[in-house]
Amino acid sequence: MLEPLQDEFMRRALAEVTMIGVAAGMLGCWVILYRLSYAAESLAHSIFPGLVLAALAGLPLIVGGIPGILVAALAIAAASRIPGVSREVAIGVVVTTLFGLGVLLALSPDSPPGIQEILFGDILGPSDADLIAAVAMAAAVGGVLLLLHGRLLAGGFDPGAARSLGVSPGIVEAALLALLGVAIVVAVQGLGNLLVVAAFVGPAAAARRLTERIAPMICLAVAIAVLAGFAGLYLSYYAGTAGGASVALAIVALYLLSLPLGRLVSARQGKRAPAGATIA
Amino acid sequence: MLEPFQLPFVQRGLIEVLLLAVPAGLLGTWIVLRGLAFFSHAVGTATFPGLVLADGLGFAAPLGAFGAAVAFSTGATALRGRRSGQDAVVALVLVACLAAGVILASDVFGSGANVETLLFGSLLLVDRADLLLAAAAAAATLLANLLIGQHWLRAGFDPTLAGSTGPSQRIFDAVLLGLVALATVAALTVVGALLVAALFVVPAITARLLTERLLSWQLLSVGLVALEGTVGLWLSVKTNAPPGATIACVAGATFALVAMVRGLAGGVAVA
Amino acid sequence: MRSEALIEASGLAVGYDGEAAISAVDFSLAPGERMALLGPNGGGKTTLLRALLGELRPLAGQLRVGARCATVPQTERSQLDYPVSALDVAAMGALSRLPWWRRPGRRERAVASEALHKVGLGDLAQETFGKLSGGQRQRVLIARSLVQDAQILLLDEPFSGLDRPSSEGLEALVDSLAAERRGVMIATHDLEQARRWDSVLCLNRTQVAAGPPEEVLDLAVLEATYGGAIVELPGSDSRAILPPHHH
Repeated sequence: MLEPLQDEFMRRALAEVTMIGVAAGMLGCWVILYRLSYAAESLAHSIFPGLVLAALAGLPLIVGGIPGILVAALAIAAASRIPGVSREVAIGVVVTTLFGLGVLLALSPDSPPGIQEILFGDILGPSDADLIAAVAMAAAVGGVLLLLHGRLLAGGFDPGAARSLGVSPGIVEAALLALLGVAIVVAVQGLGNLLVVAAFVGPAAAARRLTERIAPMICLAVAIAVLAGFAGLYLSYYAGTAGGASVALAIVALYLLSLPLGRLVSARQGKRAPAGATIA
Repeated sequence: MLEPFQLPFVQRGLIEVLLLAVPAGLLGTWIVLRGLAFFSHAVGTATFPGLVLADGLGFAAPLGAFGAAVAFSTGATALRGRRSGQDAVVALVLVACLAAGVILASDVFGSGANVETLLFGSLLLVDRADLLLAAAAAAATLLANLLIGQHWLRAGFDPTLAGSTGPSQRIFDAVLLGLVALATVAALTVVGALLVAALFVVPAITARLLTERLLSWQLLSVGLVALEGTVGLWLSVKTNAPPGATIACVAGATFALVAMVRGLAGGVAVA
Repeated sequence: MRSEALIEASGLAVGYDGEAAISAVDFSLAPGERMALLGPNGGGKTTLLRALLGELRPLAGQLRVGARCATVPQTERSQLDYPVSALDVAAMGALSRLPWWRRPGRRERAVASEALHKVGLGDLAQETFGKLSGGQRQRVLIARSLVQDAQILLLDEPFSGLDRPSSEGLEALVDSLAAERRGVMIATHDLEQARRWDSVLCLNRTQVAAGPPEEVLDLAVLEATYGGAIVELPGSDSRAILPPHHH
């Protein structure tokens, strides 16, 4: 059981998933509460060309990720404003085009291979810079979320009343998206741009099934995220499966586990099963 | 400049794209009207593990893909009634499909190199079976559009309006979803599992910017798919990049161009 | 009179998931009758309309709808983008009478055109639906219900957002529909308008009152319907409704 811990690569990977797990677990609760799952997924997909450009230039992924998110967000906003173009379609157009562009850049003959690492992550290969970034990101995201906790809660549960409480739901949502962007860009190194959304959605959705109060939900989400990270890495170590994908599957497995568990929990508490009706 | 089209595999790809223009263009208008953009993208993504399985176990790719597509469609339809947590669940399902596909490809079957082909398409793999499938999808779409397109329109415009005394609206909608799944599977070889929207969504919304009537929208949509597909193919051969990616770029650029020209020509945009 | 009523409801309760959203609904609608449906938002007006259409089954009581019912709902934002002309929308009314594989043909389009003329939109038949004004859109939907050959028309707040001329035009149309022996139920917030019609139904989760406006619409009924106190506005003849105050 402790054998993987003796491996240098595994130790670094475990450290990274812990950091990502903390940030993604906390942030994920708000993503679920504010129904930002679809936005999270689109953000993650649309930074792809930015990441490719950074990789081609030999720079750390973050350098490509941040401008990538800004470009994508602006493009989606611009497209949504065209009459007749719904937000869903705008996202589809922008994300597909950016993805195509990224693939074009990455798979033209004279560029280095490595697209699979960008798509599916390279959890076993974080550099020192990546680890430092992960720690910094987790601290920053965690700090900001704790600071904004009250406002986030007000804005999320009752947007109508929020304004009268001095909270602007629009600004709060924008702040969440900004944090999400930063967190995704850092987490993408380990999980890859196709799978990273699982970390921000799965543990929180699972935690939501198990409790109805926000504070336990956040703690549970973090615990589930880190647990999934460890489980995925252990699976990868012993079965030889791809690291990022294993972590992603572990997250999904824990979510599936939370479905019957959640029903048991609320049955014991004597109320109807949490429908999660207000949270998506 | 036209040398790529002298190559036999490119010619096959061209025929495939032209055949696909019919279902992709037509269904694209319904996808936009009925809010199915994300669904069509998700169906494509969900076929990925099915494709890997088919490739690894040696049975026909379309079967694996269609199986996965049907599984996903039925699951999505079952979920469609309940609003709660839908977004999150679908996102997780797609991630699970991608992760499972990757693990199957690289660790179980050892066919890691194929992942890019399956995700983004390949001209070299278009064979007669693909052409037949595309032709079948085209025929089915044309027929359904003719017979029940009006029900798709009515249900999207005003679900409270009583329909015909025949099959219920649910059946008509199921046919629509089924056709989207079928056409998506037919398009997988060319554009790959992740970029179906390049054929099914982007050209349709581009055409929408140019016309206000349904019939002209449908015709224009089909035409755009054919045009963008052809240019995308040419670009794919020239840059050696997967056709899905090049078609996506061409489609996206066309959309941006049309949107800008329309914005400039229209003066003040009416929101 | 009772036997030829188009709609008869007694002790009706309707709701969702087994819980009644409206209850104790008791009224009848006769041919040629214009009935105002009054009540606060969220008070159950739309629920009642859905029940009359057959979308919701009664949880308790009885409901008899003796003729074809057509609804003129509020226009959704998404409908404005639809690639349909006024004629297309009106012709949709014929779909319920055709076999499923037939699209509205020449005859149906002629009927639709006639209906559009009837509501005063004959020369706008080819206009895109979303380009029409609010009042015109309402007329198109009324034309659609005429194509449906419905004897009962249910109008869900058709006057909201309309200017004075459009409002008056729509009222005249309602009168002419009633003159053709159709039954018309109109959800509205305009009390003065309600007073001009044949009967009112006041609904605030339970039925507060039903009957001719001059008999039914007194201060107590209005307060119970809208859940707030009614005060005179100083310096004018109007009254205003105060929102309910919580202790």
